[in-house]
Amino acid sequence: MSHKHEFHYDLDLAMQPAKGTVSFDQTGQIISFIGDKILLTLCAGDITEMSVIGGVGCGLLFAKMNDESEILLCRFTFSAMKAAGEFCKVINFYIQTKQYVTPEEKEQPVCEKCGRPLIEGMSVCLFCYNKISVLKRALDLLRPFAGKILPAELFLATSSIIYLLVPLFSRLLIDEYLRPMKGTSTQVFLLAGAMFLARALGELIYIFSSRVFNEASIQYANHLRNLAYEKIQKLSMSSLSKRTPGDLIRRVMEDTGNVRNFISDGGRWAVEQMIIFVVVLIILLFTNFELTLLVFIPVPVVSIALSRFWRFIHIRYERQWRKNSKCQSILHDIIKGIRTVKAFGKEDMEIQKFSKATRELAQVSSDNEAIWARLFPLMLFFTGIGEFLVLYYGGQKILNNTLSLGVLVQFSMYITYIYAPLRWLVSFPRWLADAMTSMVKIFEILDEEPDIISLPNPKNVPLSGKVSFEGVSFGYKSYEPVLKGIDLDIQPGEMIGIVGRSGAGKSTIINLIMRLYDPTQGTISINGVDLKEMSPEYLHENIGIVFQDTFLFAGSLYENIAYGKPEATATEVIAAAKAANAHDFIMQTADGYNTIIGENGHSISGGERQRLAIARAIIKNPSILILDEATSSLDVETESIIQDSLNRIVQGRTTIAIAHRLSTLRSADRLIVLDQGKIAEVGTHTELLKEKGIYYRLVMAQRKTSKIAEVS
Amino acid sequence: MEKAIQKEAPSLAYAIDIGMIDLKNAEFYMTTGGFTGLKYSGQDYNRITLRRAFPIGNPMEYISVADKDNKEIGMIRSLSDLSEKQYSIVLTELEKRYYSPTVYEVKSVKDKLGYVYMELLIGRDDSKYKKNCALKDVSKNIRMLDDDRLIITDVDGNRYIIQSLSGLDKKSFKRLEPYLF
Ligand SMILES: Nc1ncnc2c1ncn2[C@@H]1O[C@H](COP(=O)(O)OP(=O)(O)O)[C@@H](O)[C@H]1O
Ligand SMILES: [Mg+2]
Repeated sequence: MSHKHEFHYDLDLAMQPAKGTVSFDQTGQIISFIGDKILLTLCAGDITEMSVIGGVGCGLLFAKMNDESEILLCRFTFSAMKAAGEFCKVINFYIQTKQYVTPEEKEQPVCEKCGRPLIEGMSVCLFCYNKISVLKRALDLLRPFAGKILPAELFLATSSIIYLLVPLFSRLLIDEYLRPMKGTSTQVFLLAGAMFLARALGELIYIFSSRVFNEASIQYANHLRNLAYEKIQKLSMSSLSKRTPGDLIRRVMEDTGNVRNFISDGGRWAVEQMIIFVVVLIILLFTNFELTLLVFIPVPVVSIALSRFWRFIHIRYERQWRKNSKCQSILHDIIKGIRTVKAFGKEDMEIQKFSKATRELAQVSSDNEAIWARLFPLMLFFTGIGEFLVLYYGGQKILNNTLSLGVLVQFSMYITYIYAPLRWLVSFPRWLADAMTSMVKIFEILDEEPDIISLPNPKNVPLSGKVSFEGVSFGYKSYEPVLKGIDLDIQPGEMIGIVGRSGAGKSTIINLIMRLYDPTQGTISINGVDLKEMSPEYLHENIGIVFQDTFLFAGSLYENIAYGKPEATATEVIAAAKAANAHDFIMQTADGYNTIIGENGHSISGGERQRLAIARAIIKNPSILILDEATSSLDVETESIIQDSLNRIVQGRTTIAIAHRLSTLRSADRLIVLDQGKIAEVGTHTELLKEKGIYYRLVMAQRKTSKIAEVS
Repeated sequence: MEKAIQKEAPSLAYAIDIGMIDLKNAEFYMTTGGFTGLKYSGQDYNRITLRRAFPIGNPMEYISVADKDNKEIGMIRSLSDLSEKQYSIVLTELEKRYYSPTVYEVKSVKDKLGYVYMELLIGRDDSKYKKNCALKDVSKNIRMLDDDRLIITDVDGNRYIIQSLSGLDKKSFKRLEPYLF
């Protein structure tokens, strides 16, 4: 069994397209070759680390050698980026542990049918994903509502068929009673009455079926919406951060709405028209074969013309749609940033930007309307040909006495039924396409595999134990490590301060402890139990966290504080607020804890916000408290007030605090200095100052800028 | 009027030094490992990264030079200030960081359920090849650079440039047209 890891790259060293390979085998040999030309051979034993650097549209793979030199292995386009990151991981693992992991076929998945690589995060090839399979899946989800939709469909069919009886009655009336003039007035009255009743009955059933349809489609959309929403709540941060909040909101609200509209309007209409078409066709064929053929003469012409027309207008509507969404996004932007616009006095510029966009939209829309207005009558004209042919040919036959007047009347009435759907067929593909696109977007969310996996029987040990990092490495992108080999033990009840430049990976450590992401290598454990064996929900319930940018929900102050523990008693809420020094300012407001904040509500200052966030975090009485720059956006005075309350709260809890102002962390038991994703220094404030390393320089730099900080 | 105001409030450039590299003391060279290095004022940086400040508007000026740890060593005001040999080393390195092949032809464009699949003929004048790519959110990923130039970014992050929209053949233009605005 000889296994080989291979990485396929697509550019040569001079950036020309090429088909090259880097292979890595069990003997530790790394060979880069294009065709049968070997470019480079390295031995894993001579390498310290394998890395990927991303450029713009391309990247490169290189080895850091034991003698500190660096050797370029190959270059590739972004299409190969992910594979390169994976390849690196395998080699680095080998270098660190001397273990050769056998490849588990992690090549980039491609579509079996067309060979195109699958888009990341998707299990199907959209290029080959045909509409039928989307439809099938949508119908599968529709199954629970079949009990409503099928009868509604049945009623709809009944009402259509009743409608279709009317022309038959007309023929009967003309041929049996009027033309031979042998009907009595009672008979005529009965027949006309029957026609009237049929129409009325048809209408009634139609109204009824519409109602059932609407109900079912609303329920279906609700069902989809809830499924999507539930899924979004369960997805991990890494899946969620791939998409913008706006995108997710659109999927949950608009896309499900589109599907609903399609079912209650477009889809239902299509089914109805299909039934009518088939029934009419059968009736016509049985009544008069020749005339039926005449009716259908223009159909191919109309169909061809329609599909041409469709392609033509589709592109234009697409453009209109895009312009519209551009206008909306400009508006959205400006309204969100209106303070900045005003502060910079740029209202006029923004007005111009927006009015240019709306002008363009108006132009495109009116062009489209003009085209529509010109072309649509042309379509009607074509269908008019069929009517002409039937009337002319049928009229001749009546004159020759080979056809009855009733049959001709019946035919010309049915022609409308046959052509009406054709006329509307123009818009149908667009409805269908819209609904499909929305459907796929919903499925995309539903199909997303949560990558933070919760084991079936989680070991939820108390979190008051030791928190250990063992060789933890992590990167948000596989080729860009943010944390590298972190080893750290945090004793129960200890207060740890993490310092480092911004971007050093401080918040990332927090994200890992919260299990918002799983480490790419190494383990994090609490009380000796791997975080992966605990359920994320349990972790989140028992870790209190305060971020720099606090999000308060629209609602009362009370609800916001009790968010972490909805069943909290009033005493607990006040206690938490007092501990966080929030009680006093809350009592200053007229409505006290019932003050409504959020949109249009009472506006509160940054410092007050932060104190609410602290109250919200500690009301759960968490064993682990995390403060991620919790006080960084505050002025020094407010910070020191909050600091006092924090010092009280921190007692007896494991606390991890990140702060910009180093003076904030003076009371920490130990400080961790992060630099470039690694732990550079560990020690108490005094120890680190003596060391005269990174921490010392940071402190000195801060002293220079602020004279207040009387550290040490 | 405007000039008078300028005199009163001098531009920021006087107050802040953007750290131009003194090209007289700088020597760019190719390392044996396949990278570009820089010897500058007594230091030897054996792997530098070059970045364009204005990759779209002004790719040949304001080039940032950074060391291994991504710390900026300084900036090159304009590539034309370099000697011929140095120029070619720097430009080659830049072209290896910024890879955006030219699009010669748009062979097909298909809208599939919210994604757009394109078949492009790309490459350089002397070697063209076909590439299938998929685009998400066309309104963001097909972007006009100026009146005539266009950049297409696919789902993987690859970039393709259409140097001249008006120079594109009619069929290609027609296929692309619905997505431009
Ligand atoms: N969600 C994310 N996706 C991709 N990269 C991220 C994400 N969050 C942070 N990063 C990157 O990871 C690095 C470390 O970030 P972070 O841990 O937030 O730093 P800090 O020490 O300032 O808290 C930064 O380079 C940042 O750009
Ligand atoms: Mg941070």
